[in-house]
Amino acid sequence: MTVAVETALSPAAERVRERVAASPVAGRAEVVDRDLPTIEVSPKDWPTLARFLRDDPGCRYDLFIDLCGVDNLRRSGQKTRFETVAHLHSLPRNERVRVRVLLPDPESPSVPTVCDTYPAANWFEREAYDLFGFQFPGHPNLHRLLCHDAFVGHPLRKDYAPGQRWFFAEEDLRMPEWSKQTDVRAGHFETQTISIGPSHPATHGIVHLVARLDGERIVRAETMIGYLHRCFEKMAEKHHWNQIIPYTDRLNYVSAMLNGVGYVRTVEKMLGVEVPDRGRLARTILSEFSRIMDHCVCIGANLVDIGALTNFIYLYQNRENIYDLLEACCGARLTVSYVRVGGLAVDVPEDFVARCRALLESIPLLIDDVEKLVTNNRIIRNRLSGTGIVTKEQAIAWGMTGPMLRASGVPYDVRRAHPYDFYDKFDWDIPISQDGDNFARYLVRIEEMRQSLKIIRQALDVFPAKGPINSDDWRVVLPPKDAVYHDMESLIYHFKLTMEGIRVPAGERYEWIEGSNGELGYYAISDGRGGPYRLKVRPPCFPNMAAFEQIVIGGTVSDAIATLGTLNVIAGELDR
Amino acid sequence: MSGVIDVGRRVPKQLTLLQKLYLPEIARGMAVTLRHLLRNLANPKGMPTIQYPEEKRNYSDRFRGKHILTTREDGTMKCVACYMCQQACPAECISIVAGEHPKIAYEKYPVVFDIDMMRCVFCGFCVDACPKDAIWMTRNYEMAFFTRADAVYSIDRLRETREEVAKHGYGYRPYYPGDGTTPPSDASLLPVLAGSGERDRLRERSIPLPERDPGPGPLNAPSQAEKAFSA
Repeated sequence: MTVAVETALSPAAERVRERVAASPVAGRAEVVDRDLPTIEVSPKDWPTLARFLRDDPGCRYDLFIDLCGVDNLRRSGQKTRFETVAHLHSLPRNERVRVRVLLPDPESPSVPTVCDTYPAANWFEREAYDLFGFQFPGHPNLHRLLCHDAFVGHPLRKDYAPGQRWFFAEEDLRMPEWSKQTDVRAGHFETQTISIGPSHPATHGIVHLVARLDGERIVRAETMIGYLHRCFEKMAEKHHWNQIIPYTDRLNYVSAMLNGVGYVRTVEKMLGVEVPDRGRLARTILSEFSRIMDHCVCIGANLVDIGALTNFIYLYQNRENIYDLLEACCGARLTVSYVRVGGLAVDVPEDFVARCRALLESIPLLIDDVEKLVTNNRIIRNRLSGTGIVTKEQAIAWGMTGPMLRASGVPYDVRRAHPYDFYDKFDWDIPISQDGDNFARYLVRIEEMRQSLKIIRQALDVFPAKGPINSDDWRVVLPPKDAVYHDMESLIYHFKLTMEGIRVPAGERYEWIEGSNGELGYYAISDGRGGPYRLKVRPPCFPNMAAFEQIVIGGTVSDAIATLGTLNVIAGELDR
Repeated sequence: MSGVIDVGRRVPKQLTLLQKLYLPEIARGMAVTLRHLLRNLANPKGMPTIQYPEEKRNYSDRFRGKHILTTREDGTMKCVACYMCQQACPAECISIVAGEHPKIAYEKYPVVFDIDMMRCVFCGFCVDACPKDAIWMTRNYEMAFFTRADAVYSIDRLRETREEVAKHGYGYRPYYPGDGTTPPSDASLLPVLAGSGERDRLRERSIPLPERDPGPGPLNAPSQAEKAFSA
């Protein structure tokens, strides 16, 4: 007789195990406890499990967060070479689960699609197909997404040598099949297909929308991205943990600070390193300023697209002033590279609090001016109200987070649902709207800026004037410079950190923060070396943009431009 | 923590007749822009626009611009070609070839020290990595070139010169005026001593150090700091 050894699970994982035992895949799925409850399942059970996890009243994992591939070729102790890892969130229960789908066949890895259960999985699966070569039988549009169409191989496989270059010519561009056929209907004009972008002032970055027009109305559309793909995730595998920070700046370059904070939090959690209060508050303050900056850019650019130029200048003045603060802290305006694992690169300047307080005075004045010009303006109302509507159900199904989801009436904010740093101690509100149109998203963003100012004000009140900003763990943080110059032990730490990187214990972790566009998540796998084995970014605007081709249907081209602005797509994080 | 506010309900869905008429709203908008115009006319110095290149932005003394290789008092470079900055560089833009210095106390020096400014992302990691205080940054951000070869700065363009520092000023570096520390007169000459660690050294100089946690707890447990904050 064999006795099954039951390992003790955390309460959350125990609940997941109970539910999985009641599911149709009971006995074929294993629940393990990692940083999140993790279900391991075989590919053929994955669609059944996905549907169960979404619909079971005890699970209700309705928000599809992320799906990515992992190649275990150089990682020991794994069951299969390939796996896909999905993260699901339950809005009603505010819980999370990770599903690892283990792909048994290393030659032709294949996993059935879950697009019918989670429409948000569409682009995530295309990305895994593109970067890992996984097949997703049943997927409606399985084509390359980030790499160009003349690309050979699957770059995130461990046996793909980085540094190869593939030439892309114009004739290699894949146009959707439907766009090549002419649609002639009796008694009606011929419809026509147009390309909006890739390089179009309204695409803010490089995004290609192929749209079929019936008169002025869009009847079918497909978005093509990847023009700004620069293999962030492959580069991350080739660098030390700290060296990735300048790369994260270039994800959402409009609010670079937030990317860095999200990234180092993941690594700090893996290490178990604590950052002193002063460092965390400085990060919080600068993150919130970055959020204001991002919303300023989003609203300003959106209004320019629909013909209101003055607001852009007022809002960008805020952004310039915030850049001055960031530059005084770290020496760069756009690509700040200010955070480090375990703290910040340098202490904040002496006049930090005074500078922040001056910004708290000046920013609301300019926001007020914009509100005066815009909120009750009839033209703006006509352009934004009732266009680009996303209902609550659609927003959840498409995996939206951030202002997009909140403007559709779901009060989900990571700072509230999964509080980090001191967000649960501050007094602030989540702005929502039930309308789900472009105007609602504008209103939500305006109010979020005011709430961010409120958070900053409270953070400044408790900001310690003196004290350490970095962790004192020198296996992680570089020792002080004057110690390095004169003390052998410090020099050794300094040398080991610089030459070999931080030794992060082997394991995996998904950590998420509220980015300016929604949930910004980093899924990191370490094998104990100085750099990540695999680093996946969950860019907040990726699911938003995936839904764009659905949102614009039925609207006019000019509505599509207005909608693209309120989606706030940052090509840097979309294409990575 | 606090609640949720419905901004959609706060703003009236329907515009009033006056707002629909559009002309009063134009007047209101004009008042806003006119106020900005008059304020700028009254105080042209306070205008945010900078007339570059006639006028230049005043950057902080942490600005990450062009690098310089600092020198000792005798004019030789502090760099000992230890390759730390080359290793720390995330853009792989530094290339060094080390040589033996004729003066035995200096041991090594860089025969070649190239920075490819086209690759450089100006992150300042090289400054953080240097154990000899040998590489700093300046506030010089005007580095346009006509050829790719021009973009590779070698020692002769990286060596610190008095004119360059006077013109642009120091940028990102390990020490700033007023942060309680002073740069060592010549870090590369002072010996590195085996000691009990920099913690004792910092305590001697009465720089407070937080006590270490007794041991790593579970990852999600509230930290000492969090407990102190909520108390």
